[in-house]
Parts: sequence; C-alpha cells; structure tokens
Amino acid sequence: MAEETSRPNDADEQAPAPEGPAQDDPRDQEVTRRKFLITSVGAMSGAMAAAVAVPAIFYVAGPVKEQGASEEWIRLGSASSVETGSKTLMKATVERRAGYLTTTEELSVFVSTDNGTDFLALSNICTHLGCRVRWVEEQDGFFCPCHNAVFGPDGSVLEGPPPRPLDRFETKVEDGQIFIRKL
Amino acid sequence: MTTKLGDWLNDRSGWRTIYGTVFLRKIPKINWAYTLGSATLFAMVIQIVTGILLTLYYVPDPQLAYASVTYITNELPFGWLIRGLHHWGASAMVLLVVLHMIRVIVYGAYKYPREFTWITGVALLLLTFAFGFTGYLLPWDQRAYWATVVGTKIGEVTPVFGDTIRALMLGGEEISGLTLSRFFGAHVWVLPSVLLLLVGIHLYLVIRNGITSVPKRGE
Repeated sequence: MAEETSRPNDADEQAPAPEGPAQDDPRDQEVTRRKFLITSVGAMSGAMAAAVAVPAIFYVAGPVKEQGASEEWIRLGSASSVETGSKTLMKATVERRAGYLTTTEELSVFVSTDNGTDFLALSNICTHLGCRVRWVEEQDGFFCPCHNAVFGPDGSVLEGPPPRPLDRFETKVEDGQIFIRKL
Repeated sequence: MTTKLGDWLNDRSGWRTIYGTVFLRKIPKINWAYTLGSATLFAMVIQIVTGILLTLYYVPDPQLAYASVTYITNELPFGWLIRGLHHWGASAMVLLVVLHMIRVIVYGAYKYPREFTWITGVALLLLTFAFGFTGYLLPWDQRAYWATVVGTKIGEVTPVFGDTIRALMLGGEEISGLTLSRFFGAHVWVLPSVLLLLVGIHLYLVIRNGITSVPKRGE
C-alpha cells in the first residue's frame, strides 16, 4: 500500500506508447489492478442502484392495477320513472376506493325505453375528453358543451371529435328497480 | 464509442478535470475509519431517494397521515422496503455521522486548515438530528405523537424563550395538524435545502484541503 501511494498516482501520467497506433498497445488489453477496481466499483454501484430502482418502479406503479369502480350491479331507481320515448337522467352514488381513501362519486346515466321492458342506459360522459353531455329533446341528440360534439339517441357520434359512441351499461330490472353494470 | 462521447463532452465542459479533481485525488496512507464520511454521504443519498418516493403517497394531514403510511407499508408493492430503508437509513445516518465525528476528533482532523470543514460538519450533525426529530412525527402514530410532546417540552426548558420556542415548533399551544404540516415542510423542504448547501461546502473543503494522514506517535 505504502509503495502504491508514493508513486505518481495514475496510469494517465504514463508516457505514451513510443510507436504505432494506440489500439495496438498491449497494455489496453491487459486487466490492470486499476481497471479491475474501476469495473468492480462500477458493478457494485450498479447493483446497489438497481436494488432500489427496481422495487421503486413497482412501488410507483402500485396503484395502477387497483380497480376503481366495482363490477357490481348499481341500483339507479324505479323503472316506472323512465318515460317511454324520452331520455331520463338517473343518478346513483358509487363508492370508489383509491389507496387509503374511499370516496363517493355520483354516476349519471341517461336511461330510455321504447316498450317499458327493454332499457338502454348511456353514460353522460363524452368519449372525447370527458365533459358531461346533455340531452336536448327538440333536436333529438346529446350535446357536449366542450367541443360541440353531437351524439344520436342511441349514443352514436353524429358530429364532432369523439372517437366512439357514448358508453353503454348492461341493464336489468328487478322488483321494478333498474340496475346497471359496466359492460 | 463512450470515449468519443466523453471526449466530445469534455471539449465542451471540461468534466475530466472535475472528475480527476474529485475522484483521482492523491491521498495519504489511511485506514477504513476514513470511509465513514463517504458512508454517511451514501446513507444521505438513500434517504433522499427513498424520501422522495415516500412523498408520492404520504399525506401530511392529521386525518390521513396514518392511513397513508399504512397504505404504503401494507398495500403498495415494495412499500415496506422503501419505508423500511428510510426508517433504518435514518438511524444508520445518525450512527455514521457520529462515528465520522469521533474519527475526526480522535485523529485531530479538525485542526488547521480544516476548522471550517469541522464547523460545517457540526452544523450537518445538528441538521441530521433535526431530520430525525421532524421525520419521527410524520407517521402520526402514538409513538410519534408522544415523542414530539417530549421533544418539544425539552425545547420549552430553554431559558427566557422556552414557551416561544415550543409554540414555534408546534405552531400553537398543542400538537395539531399545524404541527404535522410544519414538521413535514421542515423535513422535506427546509432541512434538505440547508443540508445540500452545507454538504456541498463540506465536500468542497474536503477536496480543496485534502484529507489528513493518521497522526504518528509524538505528533
């Protein structure tokens, strides 16, 4: 050790190879103590960084896989309150769990029926950027206030930027109550 | 390829000079006790990385703090690891900083021309304690609460200004949400800013003045 430190401290200070291009210098191929130590320290540092970085990726991405809304049937209300041939806006509160917090959220759904037994439930969330659409009876369409999108009574896109029709829910009627579920 | 990129960067930044100054210094014959400073620095880096990760989920709110800590520990993947590293890393850092200081005392490394390095080091020691004290409250459990009661009562013993000091620490007469948020702010913003500044000065001085050799008999 003492001998090591008393010497000029690095290989950089060695005289350049007297002749020939540097690549042919056999010392470049040689594993010197210095090269070995640099590589070892580098490898250990990399391993330690990875020991934190890899778990960190899973940790950061943790909540992504959490299921927000439940897959259960949600009760909207009485089936008799839906007027035939029109759109009725029905609301339900759903519980949403996000990490350590459970919040209630209001879900609004346009429900319609032609015969009183088969129901169509459409989400009021515009498929473009998530604004809330409203039903305009006189023009027979859903209008989005944000970018002037228009959806038909069946939810299909008539005008504007939305990439797909309004989302539909699966419906069922039990004891005169309408239930919906995510499709 | 990497040498080419290194050369290109070096032409424009001179990083090789800086790298050489920092890592290729000439050092006297020393022993393992001289690694305690670097070990402390390493522990600090771990604390910074895991601390930043914890703030992604932790909330300094009296209603939610404990729930968010429980969520980190029990539900998030590797949350136990990140929090565990931060928890045990804090103790490791206090231990290492004290051992580092003992080494400096024993080898007389605080003497000319390193007095200012020593002064910044003492400030860093106190900062480390302040980190430990403010961080201890954040899980917002019984142990945290009562440790802060005791800790701030110690502050109250200060002559003349005792009551004011305790009230300033707590943000009022008693521990409340105000205490939690100011401890959080101190732990996450105030103390790290001062710490990084002082560590920068401390390391600059270490490089500038070089490190002491082990004193010989009769010195």
